[in-house]
Amino acid sequence: MVSLDSSKVAASLSEIEKKTLRALEAGKGKPEEIAKRAAMPIDSVRRALQWLKEKQLIELREHSERGMKLTAAGKSSLGKGLPEKMFIEALAELGGKGLMEAVRQKSQLNTPEFNVAMGLAKKNAWVSIHKTEKGVQIELTGLEKPLLEGKYELEKALKAVEEGKEIGEKERKELLRRGLAEEITAVKRTAKLNQNGEEAVRQIAGIKKRSYNVYGEVPRIFIGKRQPYVQFLNQVREKLVSLGFKEMKERLIVQEFYNFDVLFQPQNHPARDWSDTYQLKRPRFGKLPDKRIVAKIKAAHENGAGTGSRGWGYKWSEKIASRLMPNAHGTTADARQLVEGVSVPGKYFVINRCYRPDVPDASHLVEFNQLDGFVVGKEINFRHLLGILREIAVEIGGAEEVKFYPDYYPFTEPSVQLSAKHPKLGWIELAGAGIFRPEMTEPLGIKERAIAWGLGIDRLAAFKLGISDIRYLFAQDLNWLRKSKMVRVG
Amino acid sequence: MPNVEVSLKDIGELVGKKLSLREFKEAVLYAKGEVDAVAGDIVTVDMKDTNRPDLLSAEGIAREIRSRLTRDRGIPVYRVRKSNVKLIVDKNVSGIRPCIAAAIVKNVKVSGNFLVQMIQLQEKVCLTFGRKRKEAAIGLYDWSKLRAPMHYRAYKPREKKFIPLEYKVEMDLDEILQEHPKGKEYAHLLEGYNRYPILEDAKGTVASMPPIINSQLTGKVSGKTKEVLVEVTGHNQETVNTALNVMVSALAERGFGIYSVEVKYPNRKIVTPDFSPKKVVVKIGDIREFSGLDMSNEQILDLLGKARYDVKISGKKVSCQYPAYRQDILHGVDVIEDVLISYGYDRIEPEPIKIAVVGEERPETKEADLVREMCIGMGLQEVLSFTMTSKEKQVEKIGLDGKKEKFVEIANPVSENYAVFRKRLFPELLDFLAKNKHCLYPQKIFEIGKVLELDSRSETGVSEKNVLCIALSGKGFNFTAAKSALQAIAENTGRKYSLKESNLPFLAKGRQAEIGIGNKKGVVGEVSAAVLRNFGLEQDTVLLEVEI
Repeated sequence: MVSLDSSKVAASLSEIEKKTLRALEAGKGKPEEIAKRAAMPIDSVRRALQWLKEKQLIELREHSERGMKLTAAGKSSLGKGLPEKMFIEALAELGGKGLMEAVRQKSQLNTPEFNVAMGLAKKNAWVSIHKTEKGVQIELTGLEKPLLEGKYELEKALKAVEEGKEIGEKERKELLRRGLAEEITAVKRTAKLNQNGEEAVRQIAGIKKRSYNVYGEVPRIFIGKRQPYVQFLNQVREKLVSLGFKEMKERLIVQEFYNFDVLFQPQNHPARDWSDTYQLKRPRFGKLPDKRIVAKIKAAHENGAGTGSRGWGYKWSEKIASRLMPNAHGTTADARQLVEGVSVPGKYFVINRCYRPDVPDASHLVEFNQLDGFVVGKEINFRHLLGILREIAVEIGGAEEVKFYPDYYPFTEPSVQLSAKHPKLGWIELAGAGIFRPEMTEPLGIKERAIAWGLGIDRLAAFKLGISDIRYLFAQDLNWLRKSKMVRVG
Repeated sequence: MPNVEVSLKDIGELVGKKLSLREFKEAVLYAKGEVDAVAGDIVTVDMKDTNRPDLLSAEGIAREIRSRLTRDRGIPVYRVRKSNVKLIVDKNVSGIRPCIAAAIVKNVKVSGNFLVQMIQLQEKVCLTFGRKRKEAAIGLYDWSKLRAPMHYRAYKPREKKFIPLEYKVEMDLDEILQEHPKGKEYAHLLEGYNRYPILEDAKGTVASMPPIINSQLTGKVSGKTKEVLVEVTGHNQETVNTALNVMVSALAERGFGIYSVEVKYPNRKIVTPDFSPKKVVVKIGDIREFSGLDMSNEQILDLLGKARYDVKISGKKVSCQYPAYRQDILHGVDVIEDVLISYGYDRIEPEPIKIAVVGEERPETKEADLVREMCIGMGLQEVLSFTMTSKEKQVEKIGLDGKKEKFVEIANPVSENYAVFRKRLFPELLDFLAKNKHCLYPQKIFEIGKVLELDSRSETGVSEKNVLCIALSGKGFNFTAAKSALQAIAENTGRKYSLKESNLPFLAKGRQAEIGIGNKKGVVGEVSAAVLRNFGLEQDTVLLEVEI
């Protein structure tokens, strides 16, 4: 049986349902009996029983029973009275005696009914019949009294059949013989309270029910939810959009051109070496953009491209620049955006998957995310760089205090490291940043200065999620994911 | 970024002022250094600027700190005496490794710190500034074991023999490249040449085979060494000179005597080390405007002096001379950074930037988020896996033919587990399920992420697509369940999808279909018994993978 919240069900019951339930408390019963116990119309009881069954508070057992039903004639007799009674009543009204013709008229019976009625009256000795000159004279004998006083067995039987009650065998035969009733097979119902019903009765009666142990264990629901790290990254994204940053496209496979060359990283730099970045076996080379842009980048590396820089002073190779590699840092997206064109002023960001050939351990992943962005605008200076970093530290890192240290990146000068003090996490190295070198922006036709910043978003996420092993950002552990809490940015 | 180990006591002596660890930590920030680890007196510093080889030793760090903490300013002055030693360069090295520079250091008082620092500096400079010896390879020799003049010339592989460092027997040049650990490591730098460079003395005693290995007999500095020959080879004279200057100026910091060497090329001669300062001119207005700081001329001059520039103002410009051990100043911005570092980043007030622009997410980000929401609505747990994976998961375990399946493939994988980029997402989800068989079922998971395929029409030869993958595992999951999920997502994102019966090897026969949503494709169906077996899965598992 389904266990229901009985208090709720009890509260939802109508008056007739409540009455019916209470009537059933004394024991099982047929609708008629219940109607009697509850002093309710039978129709209301039937309706209530049907509802209570649907609410699973009672069991309604059905069984067949042989019974009787009044015919049209029987119903008519129940209304007007049986012909013999009408006959006797007419005679009584005529003063106890009268001619047959007068009695017939008075009784309004048709001939067959009259004949039956007179036959019965004679048989039961309610009347005596004499032949006179005027005709046949009928006279009451005094034995008709019980009939007039409602004590006629057949009349009672007629009423009992209508009410579904038992009648005597003699009357049954008589009703059938006279066509006043017919035999039928009736479906009878017996209602009985079930456990829920008993509970509901107690509820109605205001009897206190069993209490729950509110401190007990309940079943755990595994809800559908976001991966906590993905959720964190989404919040970071939303935050940056709210700060006016426009999202850049994320690419996993990039030309070295964007990963290094546009970022003014010389081709013989050790960071471009086999051991520091992944390289591809297939496919190996990609296409470079417009020839004029390629020529400018080449010039920037070789001689500074007229930016006032010396350049790196080596022979730049287009082939090396067109080599493909898995993206190694978030700044690649900046480089790509700068090549494709930017609005000035403008704010851009990306959350980009990055790859480095490390051996994965608690603090290193071969595959991770970086959050990078840049701000380009007129008359941007070093103090604006610090201003942007402070904003990011507060909005993304939840910092209450910041510190700046000198740093080095091949593509920014000056370069800054941002440390932030989080109220719970303490001091953490949050971001690296700087102003893009003129050798980078000027050859791309960007006259204004651009502030570039990058955040080790994985480390921040790990701090926020309270995990000490960074591999759990990509947790392959369902129990952990099911139990993990959502964290908020800031 | 190179780590440099220094002794705090040694640093104190070199600076001329005793430093506590805390003071050192603060001071080394000026040199873009960050203390990584401390073990007693020995401090490991992460030196971030890979273009400042002069900072890769205790001597160099101390020199940089000294001008910030004391009144010492400007370019350090090192006296160079003439040694009358010649180094004669044969024309036959010109096509191989043409450039060389050298110096002799006398009155060497060898201490533990000095030896450790010299070897460390030599290694780190070769690695970073020297681009792993390609652009600069440094040799240190016990000068007392060699006779002037020195010769730098190339020999055929079998023409010359010597005992390389840490060996006991003579080897010819080819044997060294093939057998000696350093020979094997750096052989690629001499690949394709039929002669190899050799540095030898007047009597033909081999000092070294640049840029590979020194001689065991002459190319070793020990506690008894009083005079040291320092030599650098490479392809660019300026780079080679700078590397030599870095080495020698560090030795000069310890007060040793520096003697020059005359390098005689076939058609010219130079004298090294050459400590003449280098020069750059910067507009004063640029310094103020770039920094956003209203500094006086005097202040700028003092800050540059602290950063070891010798400066002179002429009109609206400042003429800056900087030490010969630096080669990192390419542009005026490099000087401006030095001004700012001297000023102190912690003393500069950040200024909010006022740019009113509207932010926006990429359409693919919005789309992914929409689909993610549908999946969560269906009660699925999101998971996140790596895009790099193994062929085993992507091919063999899902019953595909390894010969036909081509991937975007890593050339230098660290592990077979991260050797290719995933082409399909579902094998990663099946792997996830396989790792979580102990967790309560049903397990309903999804991931939205990129899959990569070779595509010659793309500029990178790779197409990167965002896909959704759903995997449902547990008793009674069947095709209907997977299709219902597809239908829910399609309907709720307002898309029409079509299905076509398919016969993919990883899905069960008669219980799979290919999906089409516009021009986007996918698959849906029950995972085949064989694939379930391969992943060790025992529960009914269905999946849906479709591009979004």
